[in-house]
Amino acid sequence: MDFRCCKRSAVELASQVQASDKKRTKRRSTAQSMAAKQRSISVSEFFAKNRHLLGFDNPRRSLLTTVKEAVDNSLDACEEAGITPEIWVNIEQTEPDRFKIAIQDNGPGILKRQIPLIFGKLLYGSKFHRLRMSRGQQGIGISAAGMYGMLTTGKPVKIVSKLSIRKPAHYYELQIDTKTNNPQILNGRGDGLDIPPGEKGRAKFLKHKIDWESYYPTQEEDEEPKEIRSGTRVTIEIQGKYQKGRGSVDEYLEQTAIANPHVTLYFNDPEGTLHTYRRSTTELPPEPKEIKPHPYGIELGRLMTMLKEQKEGTISQFLTGSFSRVSPAVARRICEAAGVSTRSGVKKIERSQADAIFKAIQVTKIKNPSTDCISPIGEDLLLRGLHRVVPGEFYVAATRPPAVYRGNPFQIEVALAYGGVNAVQKVSMELLERLLEETDARTLRQFMMNTFDGLGSDAADKIMKAGEFGSRQSPGKLDISDRERLHHCMRNVNVSDGQSMQVMRYANRVPLQFKTRDCAITQTIMQTNWRSYGLTQSRGSLPSGPVRLMVHMASVWVPFTSESKEAIASYDEIQKEMRLGLQAVGRKLGIFLRRRKKVKQEGERRSVFLRYLGEVATAVSELNGCDREDLLSNLHRVAKRVTKEADTKLDKSGKKITEESEVDYGDNVLIVDADHEQNLITHLEKADPQKKLF
Amino acid sequence: MAKKKRTPAQAARKAKMTAKDRKTIASLVGMADGVMKSAKRGRAPHLEVPSRSLSNVKFNQSRKIIEMGSAKNRRELFNLSQARTYMQTMLVGRGCKELIEQGKTTSIRGMYYLLKHTIEGTREETFDDQADCDPVIEDVEVTLNALREELHVYASNRGSMVGNITLVDNGDEIDCSRMGSGGYAIPSIVEPEIMQFVKCTADFILHVEKDTVWRRFNEDKFWKEHNCILTHGNGQPPRGVRRLLYRMHNELKLPVYCLLDNDPWGYYIYSVMKQGSINLAYESNRMAIPKAKFIGMRSRDFELCELNPSVTIKLSDNDIKRANQIAKYPWFEKKKRWQKEIQKMLSNGFKLEVESLISKDISYVTQEYVPERLAKGDFLD
Repeated sequence: MDFRCCKRSAVELASQVQASDKKRTKRRSTAQSMAAKQRSISVSEFFAKNRHLLGFDNPRRSLLTTVKEAVDNSLDACEEAGITPEIWVNIEQTEPDRFKIAIQDNGPGILKRQIPLIFGKLLYGSKFHRLRMSRGQQGIGISAAGMYGMLTTGKPVKIVSKLSIRKPAHYYELQIDTKTNNPQILNGRGDGLDIPPGEKGRAKFLKHKIDWESYYPTQEEDEEPKEIRSGTRVTIEIQGKYQKGRGSVDEYLEQTAIANPHVTLYFNDPEGTLHTYRRSTTELPPEPKEIKPHPYGIELGRLMTMLKEQKEGTISQFLTGSFSRVSPAVARRICEAAGVSTRSGVKKIERSQADAIFKAIQVTKIKNPSTDCISPIGEDLLLRGLHRVVPGEFYVAATRPPAVYRGNPFQIEVALAYGGVNAVQKVSMELLERLLEETDARTLRQFMMNTFDGLGSDAADKIMKAGEFGSRQSPGKLDISDRERLHHCMRNVNVSDGQSMQVMRYANRVPLQFKTRDCAITQTIMQTNWRSYGLTQSRGSLPSGPVRLMVHMASVWVPFTSESKEAIASYDEIQKEMRLGLQAVGRKLGIFLRRRKKVKQEGERRSVFLRYLGEVATAVSELNGCDREDLLSNLHRVAKRVTKEADTKLDKSGKKITEESEVDYGDNVLIVDADHEQNLITHLEKADPQKKLF
Repeated sequence: MAKKKRTPAQAARKAKMTAKDRKTIASLVGMADGVMKSAKRGRAPHLEVPSRSLSNVKFNQSRKIIEMGSAKNRRELFNLSQARTYMQTMLVGRGCKELIEQGKTTSIRGMYYLLKHTIEGTREETFDDQADCDPVIEDVEVTLNALREELHVYASNRGSMVGNITLVDNGDEIDCSRMGSGGYAIPSIVEPEIMQFVKCTADFILHVEKDTVWRRFNEDKFWKEHNCILTHGNGQPPRGVRRLLYRMHNELKLPVYCLLDNDPWGYYIYSVMKQGSINLAYESNRMAIPKAKFIGMRSRDFELCELNPSVTIKLSDNDIKRANQIAKYPWFEKKKRWQKEIQKMLSNGFKLEVESLISKDISYVTQEYVPERLAKGDFLD
């Protein structure tokens, strides 16, 4: 714009100079000639140019987005059809920067005529026009992924879909015509390929080199493999980059498994390793109900569109019929406030009247929408999901009651895992070497912070210091001994102090991996005071400690800050619910940490006493000639009584004690035997090797 | 700790015990019995250790000595900060019993080595250094109400004596007028059982602060000329010196005069000799000499003796702090002359050592300074 202005002013200047000898200057462009260039822009063209809006801004992210869109669609389809989902994710490297991504589900399949539209047309889908809790919302994702693949590799999207065990499967190779936003079918002369069921079909799959999982993997050796009855497989080849660490496919799938404990995931990574996330429950989440929009959530433009769409009836009928929670009485109150007759026909409502109705809605008291349309994960499944994937000692979950923002019902769930070891300490030498090769971080410190989730800058500094690496050490320039030293330091440096809280954000069970800072979840966590729950936290940042926190927002309409669905917008109502949820888990974590601290202190106290008891007993027995052993055992008895607190956790067999500790925490808490407690016991035994008194 | 095996030789060396020893042993056993009894009853054992802090000493106005109050500290075995000291207290008790049974005495350093060993199963030492051990010995003394001598522990010898006195020390007769230039080293234990006075012709006792000053007096045969006993305590006099001075003062009725430096340290030495110390307040009644007199150095001596300014030493911040502290002690507080004396030193801004008098003449102190003041009776009380 600026450039054009400059140009124009330059031209004007020139024309002023010329004005003296030439009275009339030539117009550069006419309305007619401009009109010739004016035409509508296809949505596909727009997104092909602005692919970053959809999450295809860099090769690594594009790979993730493609997997994500396909998996989200599969899960939505399975759940809607009432099938317990099993998902296969295959990523195969075809060229140095190209990957073939294939995702198959055991969902209901897609009707033959719908396949091209769903995968080959942007903004085509079932989810946009209804208010219902689902992962996808707009119907852009998967077709955009296909389009991105086509743009970067020229390869079409390949789809196999099977409706039932007896019916033939359909195979399509598709492209989007970006000019018209319409699908083009490439194979079978524009009609696709039908593959018959049974053995014949399997032969045909092989012949045409079409990948298809026909059987569920068996868990035991002699088990009869079960055939997959239906499902869809989509294969897209894109330009991408596969790199582990934060914001990776691995992380996305792991987090998906946590929030979807009813899903089994098979992930074949480009290195040929199979990762399996098995479901921990076969129970599907309850089917979310579709609801009508709530008047508070509507905007004036949308109201007018709805009025226009309404063919007949009175305004009262329109209001009661199109919105939730609007009874005839409420409709009357709205109309009265707007100065419109309840009986006036919809067609006769003018712009100004629509405006009045819109304003009237805002001032009329309307009940909040019903909240049974949301299906939260539930505290029990949250705990199970988290425990299955995240190592830890203490787990707690809280599901808040549903609430409403701008007329949209939503529900917040929070789960927390404390303890366990950081990925840094588990990493193998081989994996570390590969990570070092893959990384594009400039310094070693940056590499560690980017690659290992939850490793704060302090912890990274500690490792750097322990290994005596220079602060500007590049991760690419390490020789073998350096790498070994790094590996050693990573495994042995205590990083749990400098570790910062790892936050997993979810919207409708979909993990959010980018734009952490913009998200209402992160902001709320930072605003919450974690110090009172026993964690350290510097002002305006995430608390530190070996904590994994998971926050899930379930809603019929999740307010994202952008189309690539990465961050939740900060509405006061949403933040308030989040805060309450965080406080609920925080309180229980606080109880646990305080208790653990006390137990630890008592254990230390006892070991101090035990150290001196032998000396005291010897001295006393020499002074008055009493029996040393007798006295010692008496003293031990006293020591045990005095440091009773240490036993409440050590003594696992004492039933009474376990009952007490459970009562303390309330529900929704899971405590795993902590290693350090084991250490404490062995430490105590070491202190007095002859006698195992405790 | 594993029980130490006694060699037959050690067992045979069991010495005959005096009545005092038996009494001490009984109280040691009593301490041990207390531990056993409370352990048997499932109670946490503890000791009542009289407090040895400034807050628990009282200045007895009528007797003019510092006395220990009745405040006691509870020392508990099952208290994190006290467990270690408790264990050490028991160890010291054991060590004392061993000494008494064998009829031996040892220095406090010897006691430290006797009891120092690694606690079994750990890398921790029972005592880290002697400073760790010494206060515990004092604790045992006050707890059992037994003197250090009764526990068969003594401090290192410090201090010498010459003069017209003959005494018996552990059976040997010693004539202190025939001790050459070194003098008789005052032992740590000077109790009547060990030391008896045979003959004394001296008129008074002159106690000086340091060895160097004492040598000057001995070389000049001051004690012969003035018929006195000359002692020094090498700085703060140890218990043996104080106890001996006390006995001579009370049993032989000899007045005690002190020649100390003109600094807060010197004032405090005088204070300890006169009233007793805060730390050993429980021994004041057998060590303090309320009638002791302070000859010098005095703050006014700089002008009086016309000393050269170059022999003065500037007061440090610490000195000023200490001087103010001493001025506030109840036993100095009401003495106007002392308050004046301390104020004079503070306004001088310097301190004077006895040795500074040598700038006048090598024997100025023995021939003029002290005799003049003794003759005039010019003392601070």
